[in-house]
Amino acid sequence: MGYDSQLSTNIYNFDNYKKVKLAKLRHIICVVWMMGACILATRAQQQTQPLMPGETPKPTKYVAVEEQKEHLVFFQGFTLSVDGYGPVAMMVSDYGTLEGALRLNLKNTFFPIIEAGIGKCSKEDFNTKVSYKTNAPFIRVGIDFNMLKDKFQSNRLYLGARYGLSKFKYDMTGPALTDPIWGGSQSFSLKDIDCTSHWAELVFGVEVRILRNFHMGWAVRYKMEISSTKHDAAKPNCIPGYGYTTNSNCWGGTYSLIFDLNWGMKKSHKRGVNVEIRDMQPTEHELTPVQDDSQTSIDHEEGTEDGATEVEE
Amino acid sequence: MLGMAVLLLAGCYSNNCPLENMVTCNYGFYDSEGTAISYRDTITVTTLMPGYKTVYTYRKLGNITVTKDYRDTALVNQGYTESMTQQRKDTILLNNLIGASSMKVPMSWFHEEDTLILSYRTIVKKDTIKIQHISYPNVELPECGTYRFHTLQGITATDAAIDHIEIGEPKVNYEGNVNVKIYFNGVVTE
Repeated sequence: MGYDSQLSTNIYNFDNYKKVKLAKLRHIICVVWMMGACILATRAQQQTQPLMPGETPKPTKYVAVEEQKEHLVFFQGFTLSVDGYGPVAMMVSDYGTLEGALRLNLKNTFFPIIEAGIGKCSKEDFNTKVSYKTNAPFIRVGIDFNMLKDKFQSNRLYLGARYGLSKFKYDMTGPALTDPIWGGSQSFSLKDIDCTSHWAELVFGVEVRILRNFHMGWAVRYKMEISSTKHDAAKPNCIPGYGYTTNSNCWGGTYSLIFDLNWGMKKSHKRGVNVEIRDMQPTEHELTPVQDDSQTSIDHEEGTEDGATEVEE
Repeated sequence: MLGMAVLLLAGCYSNNCPLENMVTCNYGFYDSEGTAISYRDTITVTTLMPGYKTVYTYRKLGNITVTKDYRDTALVNQGYTESMTQQRKDTILLNNLIGASSMKVPMSWFHEEDTLILSYRTIVKKDTIKIQHISYPNVELPECGTYRFHTLQGITATDAAIDHIEIGEPKVNYEGNVNVKIYFNGVVTE
């Protein structure tokens, strides 16, 4: 064979070598792809397999902060409060109250409340010498709404409403009456006049935590008299729990000393938050056999973790 | 802060005492058919008081008869003859009311019946109105003092100038309603 024929043979061999190499590479890629596909298919098959009874999906560690906020425990306990303004007013003025309140805390947002106390009024006008006396219990029921966006913090800014009721007796006495034209005189003394009064209140107040379970706060109240029993001789000048009836509405206020009580709360809820940790995006099919156990509830009793925000103690 | 709150609340205090210091019974004037009128004659309202008084009457031939509440010895010295009579005490409540369409007359506080005597300038005869009522104290606010309210129970009148009389609003208080309607003789024609 000549040089040309040898060269053409080498070229042929080289082309053949390239073809073989490419074929092997294709084969390897194909095998790897097939193996990957098999692995993925197997894993997918494992994941879509229904859980056996008693099995639970593994929890993830990530819980969104917003999600935790949605899980504030509904019942946050009771608070007991006493008013500090009423006794002071009783000492320095004609009218004052001794009152306390029991309040529910629902999700740190709604606060149904019952207020009860005793109202005392004893006044005598300097000019006319007509005196008015009453000393009777009263009760108010209503609800407060925490207007702060962050429901986790201990301080509160609230708006509320009350319905008030008092059934009481009052005395009204004065100097003897003398007819200026026809003459004659008669003493003026009205005792134990029965009266029942109803009124409504709008409440605006703030409350801050001072110590662990001790809060203080003040509130301003706008009061509107709904109705009172009318007597021919004298209408009530002052209603226990409401105040003076000079106008059909009046202003009042309270300065509350508030104590948190944990009656009826689960021990695990005293932190005020119930965090649920669960699988990320569990499919409906996964949840089918053991739906009740698919979520694991973990109550955080100690501190905050996993991104949980600080909660009140 | 608490003290300031007390002062602020006390600063809002105000009272609504009635402007009038006496409750009066309101009388409305009407013609005999019920049309509201202004009565042109002069009216003087006198009421009888409890108790009696001694009235001295002095007469002398050719002279006007003189009546006095006290003894006048000067008239006796001038030749007048003196006579004494016992009469019910009275007092003037409204004097010479002219062209009025209504009148306000106080009521007694401790008597069940008031007697009003209406004297006219153009009519010799007088009218007597008797009003039965009950009175009771009323205190709007202690700082306003004590007032007397009344509830009318019955009313009668003579017919010198009055056709008839009736109760409008029996409760006599600050409301200002017409409590008694007096219908005078005659009809307004226009």
